[in-house]
Amino acid sequence: MLPIDIRPDKLAQEMFDYSRKLGQGMENLLDADAIDTGVSPKEAVYSEDKLVLYRYDTPADITPEKTPLLIVYALVNRPYMTDIQENRSTIKGLLATGQDVYLIDWGYPDQADSALTLDDYINGYIDRCVDYLCETHEIDKVNILGICQGGAFSLMYASLHPEKVNNLVTMVTPVDFQTPDNLLSAWVQNVDIDLAVDTMGNIPGELLNWTFLSLKPFSLTGQKYVNMVDLLDDPDKVKNFLRMEKWIFDSPDQAGETFRQFTKDFYQHNGFINGGVKLGGKEVDLKNVSCPVLNIYALQDHLVPPDASKALKALVGSKDYTELAFPGGHIGIYVSGKAQKEVTPAIGKWLNERS
Amino acid sequence: MSNDSFFNEDWLEIQRKYWDNWAEMGRKAMGVEGERKMTTPWEGALDHWWKAMSPAAPDFSNGFMEKMMEQGKNFFRMAETFSNSSNQTPPTDGIAWWTKALEDMQKQFTGSLDDGGNTMQRMMSFWEMPLDNWQRMMSSMSPMPGDMLRNMPHEHFKDRLDRALSAPGLGYTREEQSQYQELMRTSMDYQAALQEYTGFYNRLGMKSVERMGDFIQGVIDSGKSIDSARALYDSWISCCESVYADEVATPEYAKIHGHLVNAQMALKRRMAIMVDENLGAMNMPTRSELRTLQNRLQETRRDNKQLRQALHALEKQVAALNGKPPATALKTSAPATKSAAKPATRTTTRRKTAAKTTSSASDD
Repeated sequence: MLPIDIRPDKLAQEMFDYSRKLGQGMENLLDADAIDTGVSPKEAVYSEDKLVLYRYDTPADITPEKTPLLIVYALVNRPYMTDIQENRSTIKGLLATGQDVYLIDWGYPDQADSALTLDDYINGYIDRCVDYLCETHEIDKVNILGICQGGAFSLMYASLHPEKVNNLVTMVTPVDFQTPDNLLSAWVQNVDIDLAVDTMGNIPGELLNWTFLSLKPFSLTGQKYVNMVDLLDDPDKVKNFLRMEKWIFDSPDQAGETFRQFTKDFYQHNGFINGGVKLGGKEVDLKNVSCPVLNIYALQDHLVPPDASKALKALVGSKDYTELAFPGGHIGIYVSGKAQKEVTPAIGKWLNERS
Repeated sequence: MSNDSFFNEDWLEIQRKYWDNWAEMGRKAMGVEGERKMTTPWEGALDHWWKAMSPAAPDFSNGFMEKMMEQGKNFFRMAETFSNSSNQTPPTDGIAWWTKALEDMQKQFTGSLDDGGNTMQRMMSFWEMPLDNWQRMMSSMSPMPGDMLRNMPHEHFKDRLDRALSAPGLGYTREEQSQYQELMRTSMDYQAALQEYTGFYNRLGMKSVERMGDFIQGVIDSGKSIDSARALYDSWISCCESVYADEVATPEYAKIHGHLVNAQMALKRRMAIMVDENLGAMNMPTRSELRTLQNRLQETRRDNKQLRQALHALEKQVAALNGKPPATALKTSAPATKSAAKPATRTTTRRKTAAKTTSSASDD
């Protein structure tokens, strides 16, 4: 028997099926409306520069918890990943558990924002959002859920303002930036970050896209589209695919000074582990994080390897530390059906037990 | 060789006729005339189909569909590649056949196989995907095509050029000469970095072929066979991805990657400096001056915001002592309408896209 034995009639059938699905897919594309992003009703309650703070509508049959939950998303990509479609929404799942959900949308920085520093983001924008929530809800502390880089931001914030954080949830958050399996970190070690920022001002989203796609170039820029052909005859699946496609390539530029500091302090100097990160004249020390911490990581995460997140356990000052391992990837932890069943209910339960 | 196998001597001819007829019917049905004779039936059929269908497609879906067309061609090319190998040397057994096919793939990566620039070469161009991604990205950030310097030969005159570029400038235009020399140096360094990056991928291509060989040996040992173009394509992707994952985790690749990014940034930096000098000569504001202003403005804004925040905190404390609400509230400029807040949108200038369509499409 030959190792590759593709019968002519079967190959012809494959070709025919491929063309048929493409044809059907085009019909579905013609029928597809504009790609909507973010499905849950929300209200803009505070804004500053390009930042908008949204509050999501609590379902009528649910009484929200007294302490609001502030979601701090990464500067990379857009936060509508957390609410990407009706049946795949982290936000919706959190609302269902009674959380009063707020989310920071950082917007799209332009060259006028290039001088924004980490201090501006952490001690400025995040702190003022927290102050707004405390004042509005007449409380002293809020719950924070930090996602990916937003998780690192939340850890910095909780370290510098422990008196304002009631509970902290970190999702797929890098803490040890130099684990052996961290490709992004390996690649950036030889990059002259100062030269890049001094040259470009802001770091273009395209450069980040290229970097992320380069992690698995054949799967992410090739095979994915072949696999998609199999889904093309289902209009809903086409739309879901297009939503994800939009999100993947919807990459804001990164404010130059913030990118400089974050990449050098964390990717190159591993600041949470080695120390030396100073914001507003104060040292970031995770031992100062005294509130309860729920650290969620994804076992198949190729962007933030599990060990990069799990390093938090040894560093955090909290006596109430919980880990949750999710059997999926960096994106699946928000959008997979399994995540809707396992992750968001677990976050809600953990928060409600500590309300 | 069994007569009903994929590698039947008449297979290619049968398929060519089939797809020629299929495409001809399609052309007639769609009113598309004057198409060239197809030399690669799979690609030809897909191309004809798409040319007939694409005018009806909205702009946004065109790009999407073309991506799938490209990838569809890739996996049908796999099948065609292996079929050609079998046609040239009809195999007497499986091992001889795939050894020949893999040898041809390896020769393609070393540039020693001449198949008229046809099937094998196009299939191997698949390994240019990561490089193509880089070129697309660079094109989006630059007024020049991302592949501008890629194939420019320079090794044979590099030493002489280096010497020429090291010569000191003279006279009133000394500084200007120096700027252009530096521009040339950074251009050459970027070119070298790009070629180093390309060379790395060519070596990975060779290793992927070896990995594919191991995989096929495993198929033979298991007594099974791959019986669809899709399964063949998926296996090839899997081999490429696993080799890629191994190799890009090495310190060698980190160096190549860093060199590529740094060299590109140095070139852009040099160009920006020269643009600034020209703007200055025309009494126009420069990027450098704008940066200085942005930094100073941000320092002032930061101070203002901190002072306002501190003032508000003090007002709250005083109000609490007096039993009254604070005089000022935390500043907000939020729109009042529910669910109607305008989502954030890009305000930056739309960038130029792709220098080339794709490695595969450009070969068609």
